[in-house]
This record gives sequence, structure tokens and C-alpha cells, in this order.
Amino acid sequence: MNDSRLRVFYFVTLLGALVLQVFELPYGLAVLRPLWVPLILAYWAVVTPEPSGLFAAFIMGFLLDVLLGCALGQHALGLTLMVFVVLLSRGWLTLFPVWQEAGAMVLVWGLYCFLMFWVDGATQHRADPWLQWMPVLTTSLFWPPMVALLNGLRRHSKRDPLRL
Amino acid sequence: MSSISASRRRPLFPRGPGLGLKALILSLASLGMLVVDQRSDSLLPVRDALAWVLQPVLWTAGVPSAVGSMAEHLHTRESLLEENQVLRENQLVLQARQQKLDALEMENLRLRELLSSSGQLEERVLIAEILSAAQDPYRQQIVLNKGTRDGVYKGQALIDAEGVMGQLIRVNSDTSVALLITDPEHGTPVEINRTGLRTFALGRGDGQTLSLPFLPGNADVQVGDLLVSSAIGGRFPAGYPVGRIEELRHEPGEHFMEAIARPAARLNQGRQALLVWSESFPVSEPAAPVEPTP
Repeated sequence: MNDSRLRVFYFVTLLGALVLQVFELPYGLAVLRPLWVPLILAYWAVVTPEPSGLFAAFIMGFLLDVLLGCALGQHALGLTLMVFVVLLSRGWLTLFPVWQEAGAMVLVWGLYCFLMFWVDGATQHRADPWLQWMPVLTTSLFWPPMVALLNGLRRHSKRDPLRL
Repeated sequence: MSSISASRRRPLFPRGPGLGLKALILSLASLGMLVVDQRSDSLLPVRDALAWVLQPVLWTAGVPSAVGSMAEHLHTRESLLEENQVLRENQLVLQARQQKLDALEMENLRLRELLSSSGQLEERVLIAEILSAAQDPYRQQIVLNKGTRDGVYKGQALIDAEGVMGQLIRVNSDTSVALLITDPEHGTPVEINRTGLRTFALGRGDGQTLSLPFLPGNADVQVGDLLVSSAIGGRFPAGYPVGRIEELRHEPGEHFMEAIARPAARLNQGRQALLVWSESFPVSEPAAPVEPTP
């Protein structure tokens, strides 16, 4: 996959994450919805370590704030800091096999959920404090299959010797 | 390795001051936006513009449920005939009631004239389609297909066939966002229909129930009491059902009693809702509903 096609793929995955994040689900399932946008952003932060990932996170957060109708800046803040942490720790994160990586990512999702929780508290939005942590679990479970899927799609028709 | 940005420089480990500084600047920008958004409405145009741009995303997200409801359009002739029959019967009953209501309304008007208070005007309503709902389980909001072009305004009350649903909190040009009465940020001024006790009902955030906090310990409230909207605050038209008391909680030794109510409106069913005009309502402020206070 050359650079321009990779870029298209990048934007398609981000857009897909946005759609999946606001996809209509029944109430019981919506609580368990994985954090799609953080998941995709973290994936790209791990495989293409570029500071531009931070801008992407910021913009995506901004769009998510508008889509979900919460305080502007809430998701932007959470996603920026989350991608920053992933970029910093990818040096040792990529040394692990993917299932151990999924374990380490629990901390990243936890950080993100904590930031959401904190901003909710600061903006006087009351949410169920326990249910809010449920996506940490599902996102961690979705991490290995998503990494495998995206890697597969990315490697498709690509002659790139150095890959992760 | 392929890279996303066009630059030829591809660091394997992006560290150093650049990354931290960028993260810091972006985080501060987000925090700044949060503060500005909380304190003022100046970011509202940005939000509106982005909401308009992002509408395709919402449509895409709504496609599966739309496909699901497509199945509802496929009916057999028998079921349609049957439904038609039921609707006809319903209409007959409602028409009969309507005739009675017309008479009562006239009587009410005459009585009000005798009391020299202003008459209750007929309310203006608009049917709105519910475009999407519950994208986030912690915010009970719905998106409607009516906006400023249809003359709807922020704070407008939203009802369905059973009772009060909520109010509009954001109005874009073609769509608007309504906050449901079960959202923890929503408070509805209510009256207990049986006694006329005025209080307010807060959402509890679970999407199912309302809470009436700080009722006096000796207040006359019973399980099963009907709550109706009250015109206090000028937002909601008076007299629409809001919910029914389901449970009373009175901790021994506490001064106040809390009541739990279940909303009358079917908040998470149906595709349509009614927008009600009430601010131009002449009775909303000067002549509050004539009800005995306890």
C-alpha cells in the first residue's frame, strides 16, 4: 500500500470509528459499546508513530463532542492525552505480543474513561459512575481482533519490508 | 514503513520536546474550549456548523434501525384492514370525547369570563420526526427533524400522545436536539393532580424514572398520584401528564421525603413527537392555573 492509499485508508478507518461510535444500539448494548474512536486512534498511534496523530485525536474529539452533544473539548482533551500516552509508551508497547499489549492498553482506556468521568464531574453532568467504566472491558477485548484486522487490511497488496 | 503525513522524515520513536509541547498545547486548547463552552454560548455557531457537516454520519448511524423499521411497512392486507378497523373505532370514541370536550371548553371559558381571568387559547403544535436517539447511554437526548426554519425555539416543550417528553436544548437550522425529562440535567415543574401540590421532578439518569426530592415529610402524596406539568417557569404548557408516583422514600429522621415517578410519555418508543408553543401563551405568567395550594 503506497502512501496516498494508506492515507485514504487512515481517513476511512477514522470515519468508520465515528459512525460506529454513534451507531444506534439498544440501551443494554450501548453501555457495552467499545470506545471505537480511541481504539482506532490508538492503533494508528502504535503503527505510525507521528505527532500528527495528536492533531487527528484533537479533531476527532471535537467532532465527537458535537455528535454526542457534550461539552465542547471533553473528548478532544481525553483523546489528545490518550494518544500522547500511547505515542510515549509505544517503544515498549510494541515489544509485547498482541494479547499482552491488550492487557497494557487497559491502562490507556482506563485513563481515557477517567478523563471523561472527570470532565463530566467538572461540568456537573451526572452519569452512572460504575457503568461508565464498562467500555474499558469491551475495548480491551476488541483490541486484538481489531489490530489483526487492520494489520491484515494494511498489509494487503503491500510490499513493505519494515512493518510492525 | 509507509507514513500518513507527506513528510519524508519518519521517526520511529517520536519523542523530545515537539511531541510533549504539541500535546500540551492541544490539551490546553481543549480545556480552554471546555471553559468557554460552559461559561458562554459563543461556541454555539461552531457547534451548529459542525453538526450540519456531520449529519451524514448520523444518517449512516441510523440506517440499520431505519432498515429494521422498513419491515414494519410490509403488512398483509388483513393486518392493514384490522388496523384500519381499530383506528376507525378509536376515532369514533375520540370524536365523541372531543364533542364533550368542546362543550366543556366553552363552559370553562364562560366560567373564566365570570372570574374575569384570561381564557386559555388553543395551543399551536407541530409534529416532528425523531431522527436519532440515545447515542450515549448517559445523555437522554433525541434529535428531531425540525429547526429554526420551522420556527421552533430553544426551550420549547416536547410531548407525545401520553405526556411530556422534554424540551429543546439546541436548535440548528434543520434539526434540533431535545433533552428528555429523565436526563439528570432536566428538571420539570410539576403539580400533583390530586392535591395541586407544586414541586419539580428531576431525571435520575437511568432513562426510566423521575425523582421528586425535598417533599415535606407530611406532604399529601400517594403512590399512583398523577403528576401534570405546571406553567411555572413558562416553559411547559400546564396540564399535560408527566408521570405517576411509583414509590415513596421517607428515611426515618429525615426532614424531607423523596418520591419516585415513572414518566407517562413513552420516551424510548415511537418515531414522532409534538412540539408545543407555550411562551406566547397569555396565561403562562399572569394567571397561574387556578388550583388550591395545600
